[in-house]
Amino acid sequence: MSRRRRFEASTLFLLSPWIVSLLLFGLYPFGFSFALSFYDYSPLNPQSAKFLGLANYAEALRDPLFWTALKNTLIFVFGTIPFTTLLALGLALALQKRFRGRDFFRAGFFLPTVVSIVVISLVWKGLYAPEGFLSSLVRALGGTPPRWLLEPHTALASIMAMDVWAASGYYMVIFLAGLQAIPEELYESASLEGATPWQKFVHITLPMLRPTFLFVLVVNSVRSLQVFTEVFVMTGGGPLHSTLTSVFYLYEQAFYKFRLGYASSIAYLLFALTLGLAFLQVRWLKLESPRT
Amino acid sequence: MSAVRRAGAPLFLVPVLLTMLVPFAWMLFLSVQPGAGGDLTLAALARARFTLEHYAALLQASGFPRYLVNSLVVAAVVVGGNVLTGAMVGYALARKSFFGRGALTWGVIATLMLPKQVLMIPLYLVLARLHLLDTYAALILPFFVDAFSIFLVRQYVTQLPAELEDAARVDGAGELRIFVTIVLPLLRPALAVVAINSFLLNWNSFLFPLIFTNSDRLRTLPVGLALFAQGEHAVDWGLLMAGSTISALPVLLAFLVFQRHIIEGITAGAEKG
Repeated sequence: MSRRRRFEASTLFLLSPWIVSLLLFGLYPFGFSFALSFYDYSPLNPQSAKFLGLANYAEALRDPLFWTALKNTLIFVFGTIPFTTLLALGLALALQKRFRGRDFFRAGFFLPTVVSIVVISLVWKGLYAPEGFLSSLVRALGGTPPRWLLEPHTALASIMAMDVWAASGYYMVIFLAGLQAIPEELYESASLEGATPWQKFVHITLPMLRPTFLFVLVVNSVRSLQVFTEVFVMTGGGPLHSTLTSVFYLYEQAFYKFRLGYASSIAYLLFALTLGLAFLQVRWLKLESPRT
Repeated sequence: MSAVRRAGAPLFLVPVLLTMLVPFAWMLFLSVQPGAGGDLTLAALARARFTLEHYAALLQASGFPRYLVNSLVVAAVVVGGNVLTGAMVGYALARKSFFGRGALTWGVIATLMLPKQVLMIPLYLVLARLHLLDTYAALILPFFVDAFSIFLVRQYVTQLPAELEDAARVDGAGELRIFVTIVLPLLRPALAVVAINSFLLNWNSFLFPLIFTNSDRLRTLPVGLALFAQGEHAVDWGLLMAGSTISALPVLLAFLVFQRHIIEGITAGAEKG
């Protein structure tokens, strides 16, 4: 293996796309926007950029809309993830057993996750319309339909329900893979000792799925903290800012108001929150995990 | 799962399946009902008719044909780029030892975990500085090399035996020749997973194409559809659902054909966790 010691020209060639891409579209923008978050900067007038120190961050912390957006985002994250996770786990457990038509069910549950979120949001906006499918369904069942996206106290919940519907199939697939990785012998020896199905679930399935739970929670939190497209298509942040989310607010500040420095500081606050949440989840689930 | 128990499906799965499928069925149904505003209530079912007028209107008198072509071109180039560069970089990271390998591999993982909103503004400014905003290059270049594709190939190569490559080396073959004639064919299964995942991701991509382009002629389907729905057509449900169907159809077809590859891609991503 003597040829592996030098940095060969061919290796450099193979790596070159990643080196260029990482520098130009990864590290440089990442560092640049961090610097930007300390400036007053508008692309309309780049010459007048002013160094502000921490003023952008201080402004964000004093900005009531920043807090509204953050509150809505956290409601979205903590309100959807338990439902998405439970539904995904329940579906995976049900699909683990063999039965006729299982592949068809699995494909059906997974289907929403391959379709563009723009299409899904538009279809659900139609379902939620005042004279739409869901309202007429509620009426047919004898109820009074809520005003879904048009009412400040139901709009966010309506988008959240759609998200649970749209995202569960993805995490179901991950849970299915996790379930398949559990050695069959564990269940067999538990059966020999007379364990009930519930005992097997609590003492074998759940502990063995811990890494899968960790992955599902971290990936879903990172994704949910960025909720944007649904809001853009369905409500534009309204009514009365009730569906304004952090990334939507950041988008408005950057591309309607052209306050790129301020928007960058919001991006970094959100980034810190994402890291913090992922860190807490890793600690919470790793510390108690059995040594496997 | 030794004993093959072929029972019926658990009953509670049926309503869940219906909930998953009904919105799509409703989209298809509304897209072929006549009239501009569209009747959105359940009662519309009783008056069901069939027309392709909304599809005809979209394809004749709107930007949709252009959006469709844009989406196809951008997706084809980006998928090609992801497959090629994923193979090159993933192979090198898995097989070669060189100064900085750890850092470059770490860069792949970090990029995977990085929330994209952090890069939204600076990428916009980088493209502005390169005078690439509102061009096809803005829709392609930042996504041409993809960390997830590299990661998938890297994981795959680490499980491949290196004997074939070593044998070719003993025979005096050059490194690039080994890569093209021996490694690339071996990577085919992994590259199929890369291709279908890149396609889905790129076809459905919304935020970046929205920010990086301004003119109507550069819009991809998701951006075109979302902006179409915000304009004067906000309540033309027949048109909107026809546009949604046009946008969803390619991924639904890809899903039916490549379901196994799509699911492999997801679970391969999960195994790093």
